[in-house]
Amino acid sequence: MAVNMLNIPLAPVGLKQLGSQVLGISWNDGHESKYQVRNIRLSCRCANCIDEWTREKILKDETVPLDIRPKKMETVGRYALQIDWSDGHNTGIFTFEQLRSQCECESCLQNPKSH
Amino acid sequence: MFFKNKESNQVSENSILKVLGEVNDPDLNRDIVSLGFVKNLKVQSGKVSFDVELTTPACPVKDQLKNQCYEKVKAIPGVTDVEVKMTANVRSTGTQGNRVTIPGVRNVIAVASGKGGVGKSTVTVNLAVALSETGARVGLLDADIYGPSIPLMMGTKEKPVTEAGRIEPVVKNGIKVMSMGFLVPENQPIVWRGPMIHGALTQFLTQVNWGELDYLLIDMPPGTGDAQLSISQSAPLSGAVIVTTPQEVSLLDARKGLRMFQNVKVPILGVVENMAGFVCGHCEEVTPIFRVGGGEKIAHEMGVSLLGSIPLDPRIAEGGDKGTPVVTAHPASEVSRIYKKLAGDVAAQLSVYQAQVAGQFKPLTLEWQ
Repeated sequence: MAVNMLNIPLAPVGLKQLGSQVLGISWNDGHESKYQVRNIRLSCRCANCIDEWTREKILKDETVPLDIRPKKMETVGRYALQIDWSDGHNTGIFTFEQLRSQCECESCLQNPKSH
Repeated sequence: MFFKNKESNQVSENSILKVLGEVNDPDLNRDIVSLGFVKNLKVQSGKVSFDVELTTPACPVKDQLKNQCYEKVKAIPGVTDVEVKMTANVRSTGTQGNRVTIPGVRNVIAVASGKGGVGKSTVTVNLAVALSETGARVGLLDADIYGPSIPLMMGTKEKPVTEAGRIEPVVKNGIKVMSMGFLVPENQPIVWRGPMIHGALTQFLTQVNWGELDYLLIDMPPGTGDAQLSISQSAPLSGAVIVTTPQEVSLLDARKGLRMFQNVKVPILGVVENMAGFVCGHCEEVTPIFRVGGGEKIAHEMGVSLLGSIPLDPRIAEGGDKGTPVVTAHPASEVSRIYKKLAGDVAAQLSVYQAQVAGQFKPLTLEWQ
């Protein structure tokens, strides 16, 4: 049989707390990402934060506490991260691709296309 | 040399490993020595014995490898006897999703289709039997809650027993089976909404005493609805096999099924084309009832392997209704041969994937301080 070489999808190999509100993710391609956690919360794409039909954002940024923190996070299957937040929100599933595209490390911020 | 030492006739382990290093595993594309497959090498004067431990007992080229090893070692001067034992240690492809973990289960394979009626359950049952016949430990979970057909096809109506909060699966032909069909009377429909389905499937995965399994096959319900999505998100799938029939209307839905798995990053092991032509019982001529080449087309288009094309054979349906899968009932038939090859190819595809992504998918959790 012609064995099909499967592409290895993007996946995190490590999650680290880098500060009281800073998350670090190490990826399987070697990249090290850094995030202000509140920005992740603001980008939540769950049905409570984004209208399912119009894709309009329902979440009002100003309602998210400035000192918001994750309580716990865990990977979902092979494709996403689920986060329990200190404001009680827990329905958001953040895909690895989405997280990688919003990486806030210095080189990604300077070259938004280099992800 | 002045001293003709008797020891110089002794065959060295190194010379054996050297020739075995010329034997390649065609799927993994590396030699069996560097892959660490050669075990228990023993040399006693001219007698050589060793084990070759493959990543699956269903290896499609097992006999070929065994012959090569035998011939290579036998050709070394001084070797009088060669004993090659083929063994297998199925490696886990990371079945630890973290919402659901099934300890002891090394690989979880979803068998899915976009459309109903393509023979997915038939394929799953025969694939399970074919894998089991190679010596692998196999489980079969019927996830089609609404229309469970596995009990009929496997020919068992036994009720699973519960022991200390764990459900003991029904064992038939050496395969551990669990199905909603065991729990409700045949004519009674299950009228449930999504969350109930999700709950039942989670229980089947976590509270059934699967024990040690090399392969757990999940017969998925057709389509891309609630149940399918919950399983692909939360069950620790090692890979998915997509079943389709050759005609366009089936391919259309197969593509959707395939994409659903791709969206949640479950590796697609390949496509199986079922009902690929009817084999005449008298002259063995194949009539392509549902057109030709559909499976090939979709595999090519989506960049995945076509694992096999299974013709229509009345004995398949007969076996399904009687509860004797065709692979057991007619082991020498052409369809059985195709199913056995399919089992080998699925196992090989998983081994390849395992070799490529070993350690890449670890479930991670982080508690914030």
